[in-house]
Amino acid sequence: MTTADLILQQLINGVSLGAMYALLALGFTLVYGILELINFSHFNIFMVGSFVALMTLDAFGLKGQTVVLTGLPLAGVLLVAFLVTMVATGVLGVGIERFLLRRVRHVKGPAAMITTIGVSYILLNVVLLTTGADAKNFPNPLPAVHYDIGGAVLRLREILIWIIAFVLMGGLSYFVNRTRLGKAMRATAQDPDAARMMGIEVDRVIMTAFFVGSALAGAGGLIFGLYYNFTSASVGFVAGLRAFTAAVLGGIGNVPGAMVGGLIIGLIEASGGQLIATAWTDVVIFSILVLVLVFRPSGLFGRMAPNKS
Amino acid sequence: MTVKLTRRSALMATAATAAAATLGVSGAEAADKVVKIALEMSFTGADATSALRAAQGAMMAIDEANESKAVKGVKFEYVKFDDGTATAGQYDPVQGATNARKMVSDRDIVASVGPQMSGVGKAMAPILSQGNLATITPASTNPDITDPKFAAQYRPAGKAIYFRTVATDAFQGPNMANFMADKLKVKSIFVLDDSGAYGVGLADAFQAQAEKKGIKILGRDRLDPKAADYSAILTKIKSLGADAMYYGGVGQAGVKLAKQSYEIIPNVIKAGGDGMFGSDLLTGVGFPAVEGWYATQASPHVVDDPKLGNWTKKYTEKYKMGPDDYTVTSYDAALIIIDAVKRLVAAGKPVTRDNVRDNIQSSKVSTLQGEVEFDEHGDLKNKVISVFQIKQDKTKPLDDPSSQYKYVGVAPTV
Amino acid sequence: MVTAALNALGRPFAGIAPERRKFITLVLLTVVMLAFPIVHDNDGDIDSMANAMSYATLALGLNIVVGFAGLLDLGYAAFFAIGAYYYGILTSFQVMPEWSSFWQPFAALGLVEKMNQGGPDLVHFTLSFWLALPTAALVAAFFGVLFGAPTLRLRGDYLAIVTLGFGEIVPIVARNKSDWTNGAAGLNGVQAPRLFGWSFGVDATPYYYVGFAMVVLLIFISIRLRDSRIGRAWMAIREDETAAAAMGVNLVRFKLLAFAIGAAFAGMTGVFFVAKLQTATPEMFGFPVSTMILVMVVFGGMGSVWGVVLGAAVLQLLQSWFLKDLTQWINAFGDLVGSAWLRQVDLVQSIELIFGIILVVMMLFRREGLIPAMAKAPPLNMAAQTANVQRGGFTGLERIGRWQPAGGNALEVKGVTVKFGGLVALNAVDLVVPDGGVVAVIGPNGSGKSTLFNVITGLVHSDGGSIRFHGAELLGLAPHEILEAGVARTFQNIRLFPNLTVLQNVMIGEHARLHAGPVASVLRLPGTRREEAGARAWALDIIGLFGNRLTPRIDQIVSGLSYANRRRVEIARAIATRPKILLLDEPTAGMNPAETLELAEQIKSLHELGLTILLIEHKLDVVTRLAQNVIVLDHGEKIAEGLPDDVRRDEAVLTAYLGRTAQAAHAGVANG
Repeated sequence: MTTADLILQQLINGVSLGAMYALLALGFTLVYGILELINFSHFNIFMVGSFVALMTLDAFGLKGQTVVLTGLPLAGVLLVAFLVTMVATGVLGVGIERFLLRRVRHVKGPAAMITTIGVSYILLNVVLLTTGADAKNFPNPLPAVHYDIGGAVLRLREILIWIIAFVLMGGLSYFVNRTRLGKAMRATAQDPDAARMMGIEVDRVIMTAFFVGSALAGAGGLIFGLYYNFTSASVGFVAGLRAFTAAVLGGIGNVPGAMVGGLIIGLIEASGGQLIATAWTDVVIFSILVLVLVFRPSGLFGRMAPNKS
Repeated sequence: MTVKLTRRSALMATAATAAAATLGVSGAEAADKVVKIALEMSFTGADATSALRAAQGAMMAIDEANESKAVKGVKFEYVKFDDGTATAGQYDPVQGATNARKMVSDRDIVASVGPQMSGVGKAMAPILSQGNLATITPASTNPDITDPKFAAQYRPAGKAIYFRTVATDAFQGPNMANFMADKLKVKSIFVLDDSGAYGVGLADAFQAQAEKKGIKILGRDRLDPKAADYSAILTKIKSLGADAMYYGGVGQAGVKLAKQSYEIIPNVIKAGGDGMFGSDLLTGVGFPAVEGWYATQASPHVVDDPKLGNWTKKYTEKYKMGPDDYTVTSYDAALIIIDAVKRLVAAGKPVTRDNVRDNIQSSKVSTLQGEVEFDEHGDLKNKVISVFQIKQDKTKPLDDPSSQYKYVGVAPTV
Repeated sequence: MVTAALNALGRPFAGIAPERRKFITLVLLTVVMLAFPIVHDNDGDIDSMANAMSYATLALGLNIVVGFAGLLDLGYAAFFAIGAYYYGILTSFQVMPEWSSFWQPFAALGLVEKMNQGGPDLVHFTLSFWLALPTAALVAAFFGVLFGAPTLRLRGDYLAIVTLGFGEIVPIVARNKSDWTNGAAGLNGVQAPRLFGWSFGVDATPYYYVGFAMVVLLIFISIRLRDSRIGRAWMAIREDETAAAAMGVNLVRFKLLAFAIGAAFAGMTGVFFVAKLQTATPEMFGFPVSTMILVMVVFGGMGSVWGVVLGAAVLQLLQSWFLKDLTQWINAFGDLVGSAWLRQVDLVQSIELIFGIILVVMMLFRREGLIPAMAKAPPLNMAAQTANVQRGGFTGLERIGRWQPAGGNALEVKGVTVKFGGLVALNAVDLVVPDGGVVAVIGPNGSGKSTLFNVITGLVHSDGGSIRFHGAELLGLAPHEILEAGVARTFQNIRLFPNLTVLQNVMIGEHARLHAGPVASVLRLPGTRREEAGARAWALDIIGLFGNRLTPRIDQIVSGLSYANRRRVEIARAIATRPKILLLDEPTAGMNPAETLELAEQIKSLHELGLTILLIEHKLDVVTRLAQNVIVLDHGEKIAEGLPDDVRRDEAVLTAYLGRTAQAAHAGVANG
């Protein structure tokens, strides 16, 4: 491999990782933007999403890497899997909001955040106690198509992950910026009381944010499974933490910021592994985060939501 | 209330000890004496499943002993101790130390199987030594605990109490380095570990010997077992043009590493220790990604021994899951304790901790991994390292290690 | 529910005075704790208790950071790790530099010894446990300041993520710097503590007593700090940072102090923990540990010293002791009734699930924790509620003394400009307040009045000009320095410390006039005691100025007071700072005419006492009644200045207030 190939390959690696972090970061950002709440349950909604996806693909008879689909069947299976996963995690997110978080939403202090930590423990352990801690082999129906660009390899799954992430993020941007509900969401983020007085159903907006954010996390879980061909009960924490870092880095509450933040963290991880050592990746990521926040306390792109405290 | 209850159990314990003495002298036909074996594992958190597998290995041996009345007049019971805590989210040496004290306090417990993790072992060993309670670890391989250099800390009371049915990292790694240099003709290698005590120790020992054998170490890095993506480091290995990659660690990171290295560096020789031997790898990674990996076992390979195959079948039927490497070592550990008690009863000696320890020390037991004997520090006398390579055998169950791992040979000793 | 049970338990003792009851409870508790290892001979359970004590001290430390100062720290275990490795490395055989004469003096002090394992002579560190405890506290405190410093500008969420980052970094460094820490394999050969030549060894009992002593000491320190100038400053920061700064609290110093003291507790605990365990691995200090300590604090009651100790004890003992026993009982019960399911149930394995459920249930139904930090004050009786209302200014003014105006100008604002982005909030405004005078600032909404107050008190930065107070420049000073100079204020939309009592609020006003530091507050020497008693007396005097409005309510939480009373507390808090000038931002807003009149009289009586006052007010009758000079702002510019009656007739003023078309129509009303 030449240096150029190497850089290209690590770019491909980093962008793919970043796309996944970005999807997760969007969920954090949506909820944070509106509620100023660090939603720790998001970590494990992502994990649950990957398990729902695993079961869905399993139901299609896809086990391990033995069945490869192409064309319409592949598109159909993926579409169904995405729908099922996103609806399931979306409903899970809404349930958490409706039955638990809504009751602590107006409490000053970390009560809501602690609740999400509790929910996170519950989700993790329900999965852990029912399926065990082992890594599960995730089906991969994608054909092993790849393109050689010099010494670098670009696989179909990478192209797919970029397209899906791009489409979902584009859809989200459209939703937030152009639709009625999206505008209501932004208004609520700015000032929930004023929004309420303007006739916006704040409860509905918040539920929508949870649904959309959790559904994106579910999609992230499916993409994660397709990309890495495994899942386990413990995948939520590291991915979630880095995604959250990405959201803060980009400027929390800021949708494009979360995407760029995700990409930056992905690229740091790839280049850190190449240039320094993966052992120090987290140190590098968090050091950069601290530096960014010290010099730009509202993230690289500024926060969209005002600080309500 | 708690105080009262414990008082009573202490009384009962005294009575039991007295009964044991009587039993030893007269061999009376009284009700079976209960002998407790502690199972000290990380049942909570990240290692829960492998803990369960290991514990079930020991439980199976105990159940079998009870069913076959292996020791006349003795009923074995197991007591589970969990060193995983919600505080640590995984194994927790702090809780290990507490458990060791609890074990010492329960006079019915004569020996223990565990712990899994060397970190826990280091916290437990001094306490067990003071309490003169022997433990046999099926999984912790850090050499420090049985190293005479640290005897003052880990066995302050003098005698060895920390036995192992696994070889320490001090042999497995270096022998495999010899094998890769001599047999596989590896010239350059990249070494990885999984941040855990076992993985780091194994990779360190491997790397040191590999350097001596003239293999060029292209780099050394550490995987975060909770992270998902190892493509950055694998791409780096690819760009360095390594002949081989050695991974010290267990399945948690191993599964992901195997999957991704199949995609990124399919033609590089890949090897690991006994942490890469087991059905969790076969099912978690799946074929074809897992094909070709080398793994080692710290025991001599018994060619075409149907014993292991039958045992695997029995285990799988009983617990509805496949065994892994530490199920075997844990089963063996329980066998050794049962054997020690058996010899005591046969010799008419009381079943005390002290006597059980002495008998474990002098064990010569035929187990799944062959005949086991301990040296004076508690390590296996037998230091044969067997090398296996994964080659798919479609005629056999794909999650059965004994048919999917092909025996390659013995790794040359240092 | 818990409260009800406690009340039921307490009923037979109702005859005993509360103070005495508290004392008896404490004595009983101490006796039980001291006797526990003697009557309960299970070493494992004693060890569980000792671990619970370590977590209690950690929870006490985090309580200072999160509970008192309100700084959300998600990486607290980092300091625990630093203390642990500090002791671990300095008593084990891990780091052994080559011997040289440099080490001679350390050897003489017993900190190191010469060792030979073949090869050159090596240094073996032999730090004593008893010396390690205080020094680890210092080392950890240093790191607390180091990690805290970059987070000072950050709030809430960002603070949380940066602390989380440090919390991740420290264990990673411990894992990767294996030549110092032996990495994941864990330290070997950590020394057990020695006392007069006797080694603690592995027996749990001596550790239990050391742990108990540490808990007692740290509870003592926590309570002393909480009930002092330091604790009040922290709670002020927690409740409202801006108001705290405006009341003279040095945010930088007190935030760092909270980080440092919190870290010091963790550092000490780390030493104790590792000495007991005699090994340390990086996994003992990860994110789950930080979360767990936070959970203990929240579960017990944030800011509640006894609560967090109880929270830590309950959660730790639950997982290391009770659940296992409970499981055994359930299994035995299953044996008895022949239920296979009950025989196999394993609660220990579900501990994290149980934790999750406990957390969620607590947050939904009992957020204040097991023992709430703020006891509810008893409701007022009828007499206190319907106390007769005062008229004609403050009562008891003689108690607070007189101001002696020196003549000349107290405050001189020259050409002050403030811009927010493109918006000019203040444009070259000039203003003079003579010493002992009352000046009012009026102007329509958005004219820059509050911005003027904010720039004078240092809450916003100016883009030019000068503000001199008795000749000294205020611009560029931090809010607390401006308060120290004698400028106190109230806020337009009332910024009290909502979850504190009336008395606490007013006493925070005295912050800058008191001197007790952390050490003095803990030791509470006669000097500090006198200062504190004086501060309390002064606060009561000032509260007493409002007659029966506030005095019966000194122990009530201010968020429960009526609007008018909250205004009064805010004014009392400002007077408590012993200001040379008082800046009142719409003090009568939201009051009814009677209350307005009452307050106007009271302000007037302050003026008559010689206090200089700068006032923002919409109610022109109040302005007329009080002010000698009126300044009118519009769109950030001064458009008029003069005697109240002149200003009321000024055309520019009328235009600004009412718009041109309404001007004529209103002219008659204004004159009438």
